[in-house]
Amino acid sequence: MPSTNVYEELDFGIEALMADAPPETEDETLRELLEIANDLRFIPDAKFKLRLMEELGEVSGGVDARALSRTEGDAGRSHSPLRDEEILPTLFGAGVNTYPVNRGSFVASYMGQAAMLALVATSGFWMVQHRTDISQQLTSAIKISEYTLPPSAEESGGGGGGGTKDKLHASKGDLPKTSREQITPPAIVISNTSPMLPVPPTVVAPQLNLQQMGALGDPISHVLGPVSNGIGANGGIGSGTDGGVGSGRGPGVGPGEGGGVGGGVYRIGGGVSAPVAIYDPDPEYSEEARKEKYQGTVILYVVIGADGTPRTLRVQRSLGMGLDEKALEAVKKWRFKPAMRNGQPVPVEVNVEVNFRLY
Amino acid sequence: MRALLNETDERLLIEAAQRDPRRFGDLYEGNFERVFAFVIRRVRDRDVAEDITAEVFHQALAKLQQFEWRGVPFSAWLMRIAANAINDRWQRTNREQELPPEEPEDAGVEGEIERRAMLSQLVDGLPADQRTVVVRRFVEARSIRDIAKELGRSEGAIKQLQFRALQSLRARMKE
Repeated sequence: MPSTNVYEELDFGIEALMADAPPETEDETLRELLEIANDLRFIPDAKFKLRLMEELGEVSGGVDARALSRTEGDAGRSHSPLRDEEILPTLFGAGVNTYPVNRGSFVASYMGQAAMLALVATSGFWMVQHRTDISQQLTSAIKISEYTLPPSAEESGGGGGGGTKDKLHASKGDLPKTSREQITPPAIVISNTSPMLPVPPTVVAPQLNLQQMGALGDPISHVLGPVSNGIGANGGIGSGTDGGVGSGRGPGVGPGEGGGVGGGVYRIGGGVSAPVAIYDPDPEYSEEARKEKYQGTVILYVVIGADGTPRTLRVQRSLGMGLDEKALEAVKKWRFKPAMRNGQPVPVEVNVEVNFRLY
Repeated sequence: MRALLNETDERLLIEAAQRDPRRFGDLYEGNFERVFAFVIRRVRDRDVAEDITAEVFHQALAKLQQFEWRGVPFSAWLMRIAANAINDRWQRTNREQELPPEEPEDAGVEGEIERRAMLSQLVDGLPADQRTVVVRRFVEARSIRDIAKELGRSEGAIKQLQFRALQSLRARMKE
């Protein structure tokens, strides 16, 4: 750490500068610092910059200085003294009674805030009363795939889900038998008790030789009763669709779609941390978009692997003009500190926004 | 930093602002520090420099439709407006005196303007306490004692922040 003398010596030189009598020194570091100090005397005042921006905005009909300062803030480098000093002045007493009070607005604001307080208080009370239910629902929502099925060497991935739009989540139970084709989707609550051609319910998955000990259901569900097919749709059990078991789509089991056993990836939350970008070069602008001055945001679905590399990139919201391709190209090069769950890196699915702006 | 806009980008920004004056903000943001540095270097007085800088940008906005791209940076056009504004003001306030000799705009002068423009942008990136000390000390020309009193810290602490801020700026300037 530099000695106190250095601070004093520098300040002594600055005082001389302020008096327009620049000191002479042989210490090269001190000389360079004094040169910078001298230049700093001629930098503009941030308040003046904003004020002038606002004036120009009024003339041109819309240049917004506050928007500009927000843009700089996003880049993590702008914190003008103006904002340090004047943010929320009324909150701290300065400028009280500066603005006229509209009685109607005051009453509406008072009522709105009272309602919000009441809502917060009652929702807290409700959550305490129903913590068991909430815990069950949250647990089933954040665990992606914990089906205790042996992995298949030949067929993996895929998945399925179902439900019959019940109000309750699917209840716990055993998986139905697996088969290559599904004729009857599984159900816990059977609506047609006298079918013309009874066929045992199955899911489409590899041969697993599971034992059915009791009622059918979703093996990872924490809901023990009452029995329910789940909140999904088009038959089956769970929160997904189309005749399977679990949260996916199709006649298989678990997240994913089209049959098979869901492997899937994790989502952020509930003990799964977010991946952190450690290398994220900016995307290039496509020539076509640059010529048209075209701006916007591309949203990509990306799976960040346990090794921190992005894979399974897919355009969720397209921008066109070659910018989708540029976004994919850039994000493929990104590297992440992977998401963690119980201290272990896990693959996780995220949406990545890639902004294209012309400055 | 905006100063690194290439020729194509700058031309696109100018054309955008000519079509829609609300886009002038981008040009302002990219050139404000440079124009101020140019003006204050000539007039040496902060209040006068602020007046003239404001005049330059108001004129530029008003005359933007007349600007024709000829491969010369937009900042050069702004500097010309600034130089004329300085001369006009000098003539209005010093009728009995001759105009001060215009210094040759050599590479050294240009470098000094660029350096100060960059410095004012780097100040924005300092930690909040260092930035506050820099603004109070150099922009507002306040004493260490005043600043210490305002921020509720010792004079030694303010001098230390001042030192660290300058060291940090020096390092960033060399990058």
